[in-house]
Amino acid sequence: MSRRSCISGSDRHALWRLAAACLASLLLYVVLCAEVLDRPLTLGFLRHELDAKLARGAALHGPKLVILAGSNGPYSHRCETIEPILHLPCVNGGVAVGIGLDYLFARWRPLLHPGDTVYLPMEEAQYVRSRTATMLGPDAAIMLRHDRATLLHLTPDRWAGALFATGLRDALVAPVEMALVAAGFRDARSALEGGTNAWGDHTGHTAALGMASQAVLAAETPWHADAAAIRDGYGSSLVAQFIAWARVHGVRVIGGLPTEFADAAMPDATRAAIRQLYLAAGVRFVELPNRSTYPRAAFFDTPDHLNQHWQMIHSAALAHALATQMARDANPEETVAVKKLLRSKGTDAVGRY
Amino acid sequence: MLLPARLPLLMEFGGTLRPAMLFHSQPFILGFLPLCLAGFFLLGRFAEPAWALRWLLACSLFFYGWWKPEFVLLLAGSILANYALAGRIRRAAAHSPPAARRWLAAGIAFNLALLAWFKYADFLLHAALPQAPALHIFLPLAISFFTFQQIMFLAGNASGECTECGLLHYATFVAFFPHLIAGPIVRPRDIIPQLAARSVAIPRVDNLSAGLLLFLIGLAKKLVLGDTFGCFADTGFNAAALGAPLSFVEAWYAALAYGLQIYFDFSGYSDMAIGLARMLNVDFPVNFASPYQARNIAEFWRRWHITLGWFLRDYLYIPLGGSRCSPARRTLNLVATMLLCGLWHGAAWSFVLWGGLHGVYLVLHRAWPVRLPYAAAQMLTLLAVTIAWVPFRADGLHTAWSMLRGMAGSNGIALPQLIVQAVPPIGWIATPVPVLPFLGDARTLSFPEVSACLLLGWFIVLAMPSVQTLPVKARHWAVTASFAFSLQALFFAPHVTPFLYFRF
Repeated sequence: MSRRSCISGSDRHALWRLAAACLASLLLYVVLCAEVLDRPLTLGFLRHELDAKLARGAALHGPKLVILAGSNGPYSHRCETIEPILHLPCVNGGVAVGIGLDYLFARWRPLLHPGDTVYLPMEEAQYVRSRTATMLGPDAAIMLRHDRATLLHLTPDRWAGALFATGLRDALVAPVEMALVAAGFRDARSALEGGTNAWGDHTGHTAALGMASQAVLAAETPWHADAAAIRDGYGSSLVAQFIAWARVHGVRVIGGLPTEFADAAMPDATRAAIRQLYLAAGVRFVELPNRSTYPRAAFFDTPDHLNQHWQMIHSAALAHALATQMARDANPEETVAVKKLLRSKGTDAVGRY
Repeated sequence: MLLPARLPLLMEFGGTLRPAMLFHSQPFILGFLPLCLAGFFLLGRFAEPAWALRWLLACSLFFYGWWKPEFVLLLAGSILANYALAGRIRRAAAHSPPAARRWLAAGIAFNLALLAWFKYADFLLHAALPQAPALHIFLPLAISFFTFQQIMFLAGNASGECTECGLLHYATFVAFFPHLIAGPIVRPRDIIPQLAARSVAIPRVDNLSAGLLLFLIGLAKKLVLGDTFGCFADTGFNAAALGAPLSFVEAWYAALAYGLQIYFDFSGYSDMAIGLARMLNVDFPVNFASPYQARNIAEFWRRWHITLGWFLRDYLYIPLGGSRCSPARRTLNLVATMLLCGLWHGAAWSFVLWGGLHGVYLVLHRAWPVRLPYAAAQMLTLLAVTIAWVPFRADGLHTAWSMLRGMAGSNGIALPQLIVQAVPPIGWIATPVPVLPFLGDARTLSFPEVSACLLLGWFIVLAMPSVQTLPVKARHWAVTASFAFSLQALFFAPHVTPFLYFRF
C-alpha cells in the first residue's frame, strides 16, 4: 500500500457531514436556549424576586439603603425593621448566593445615586466563588432568555457561560415547568414557607416552622473559607470593583458579616480578611458585638437564614450600628439627625441582639 | 454551604486532586489527542512505521503516567517480564509442552500475584484477620485490565495462537491508550497484527471520520447522559449510606438511575475507546450491544461488557470444565466464574454479592428455561439486573440492604403533593409530601425532572438500537442531538466525573 494518505470523495463528504452535524447541533441548541426553553418556576422565581426589588429601588427617590448579599440578605435581614429606625427607605436587594455579584451589581448600579448607602453582608461563599462558577450561575440562563441588555455589559466569558448554561436536565425540565405554569401550578412549599414583603425581606420563616429543620441544623458543620481564599477570591475582586465605582459615584458602601452559628463561627483570620477587604478599599465595616453569630435554635434551615424572630432582632441591632457608622461620615445635618435618633432609641440598644 | 460532594471522588483516585487523564477531559481532547494523532501520522508519512509505533507507545505511557508517573515503572516492568515469559513459553512449547505449561503457570501466577498484592491484599488480610491494621496499598490504574491482557498473551503463546512478535509491538499492544485503562479487553491475536501492519500509520480519512463520529457519540453518552444519571443515583445511595430511610419511589429512582449511569458511562467509554482506536487505524471489538434489551440473563451477559465475558468464558469457565461436565459441577463452575467476576470488579463483599447474584440468575436460567412473552422476559431480566446493581453501587452491604428495603416499600410510598393533587387516586397508595428529600435536588420539581430524565434514558436503552448497529445517517443525527450538550458539559459543567470502570 502507498504510504500517502488516500482521501476519496466520499471520505471528504463523511467529514463534512460530521462537521455539519456538529454545527447544526450548536445552532439548534442556541436557538432553543435563547428563544424557546425557559424555567419559569426555578429561575422565574429568582428573576421575579430580583425584578421586584429593583422596581422598589427604582421607585425610591432620594437617599436609600440597599442591602446586597445572597439569601442571607432577605432571610436574615429585615428592611421593614431597619427603615423606621434609620428613617431611611430601605430595599433588601439580595436574592440567592448563586446569583453572580457582577450581575447583581450591574442591575443595581443604574439605580444607585449619590447619597445612597449599600450594605454588603455577603456570605463567605460569595467572596471565594470562582470566575467559572460565577459564569455558570442561575443568572446566566436568566440573562440569555430575559435580560440580554445586562449580559452585553458583562465580560465575554459571561456571554459564553450564558450561551452554554443549559444542560440536559434543564432542557428536559424546561417544557415541564412551562406546561405547569401554563396550567396555573403553584409551588406547594411557597405557601408554607412564607413570602417576600414590599421591602424585599423574606417573611414567614417562623420559629415554629423552623422546628422541622432543627435536627438538620444541629448536625450541620458549616463550611468556612480561609483568609487567603477571601483575599484572592474572584468575588472579592468584584466587591472591590463595586466599591471603587461607588466611591466615584458618591454612593456609600458599608461592609458587614453574614449571620452564622455561634458555636461554629468563621475563623478570626477569615473575618479579618473580610474586614480588611472593605477597610483597604476605604469604606466602613460594621461588626456587631456578637459578630452576627446566634445560637443554632435562632436559625430556620441554614446558617444564612435566621428565623423571623431573630431576623428582626438582628436587623434592629444592625440598624443602630449602621446609624453610628453613617453618622461618622455623613454631612453635619445628617449627623445631627442620626444622633437624635440614637438618643431617642437609647444607646444601650446598640449591639444588643 | 457544605463541602462539594464530588471532592472525595477525585481524592479517591489518588489522594490528589489531579485525576487520571480521561477521554472526556479538556487536556485529553484539546491537547493529548491532537498531538498524538499528528505525531503518529506525520511519523507514519515521513519515517518508518516503527517510529510511529514508538511515538504511540510514548504517548500511551505519558497518558498512563499523567495520574501517577511512578506507576509507569510498574507497567513497563510488567510488560518486560511478560514479554520474557512469553518467549520462554514459546520456546518451551516447541519441544516440551509440559515445560511450556509450567512456564505458563508461573507467568499466570506472577500476574495474579501482582494483581492480588495491589488489589486484594487488604481485602484478604481483613477477611482473615479482621483486627489487623490495613496495609493501605495504592491500587495502580488499570492493573485489572493489563493483567488480563497479558495473561491472554501468555496463554496464546502456549497454545500457539499468538505468533512471535517484537517487543515494540507487544508493548504498544499492552499500553495502547484507547484500551489501557478500562478495556475493551482485546485479544492479542486480533490487535498485534494490526499494529504490526506497515499501513497502520497511514492516515485514512474514512477511519478518522468514523472514529471521530463514534468518539463524539461516546462522549455524549458519558458526559451528557451518564453523569446526569450519576447525580440522581448518588443522591439516593449517599442518603442510604448515611442511614436515611428511602421511600419506595426514591429508592427505585436511585437504582434505575444507577442502571442508566453505569450503562451510559461504560458503554460511552467503550465507544470512545473504539473510536480512538479506529482513528489510529486499529479495529476493536464491540463491547456493548443493547444489554438492557436482553430477554434473559445469559443473553444479558452476551451483550454486556462482551469482551470481559469472552475472557471469563475462555480463560476461567472453560478451563474449570465449562458445560461439559456433570450438572452439579457445571453449576459450581458457573457460580465460581461469576463470583470471581464480581471480585475482579472490586475487593469488597458487595461486588462478590453482585457476582454471586448473577451466578444464581444464570443457574436458575439454565435449570428452568421458562418461555415468557418478549416484553415480560425483558422486564424480568431488567428487574433482576437492577436489583443486582444495588450491592454493586452501594458503599457496603448495610447500604445495599437499606436500599433494597426501600425498594421493597418497607419505608412507605411517598409522592409529591403536586402529583397526588393531579391524580387523586394515587393518594390511596402514596402519602403526599411537599418534596421527596432524597430525590434529585429535593425540590418541588425534582420529581418531574428526574422522571423526565429517567424516561428519556430508559427509552434510549430499551427502544433504540446500539451505536454499532445504527446506520451512519442515524449516527449523524445522534451527534446533531447531542454535540452541543457534550460541549456544554465538557467546558461549562462544574464537575468532571471519572469513568466508573477506572476503579476496577
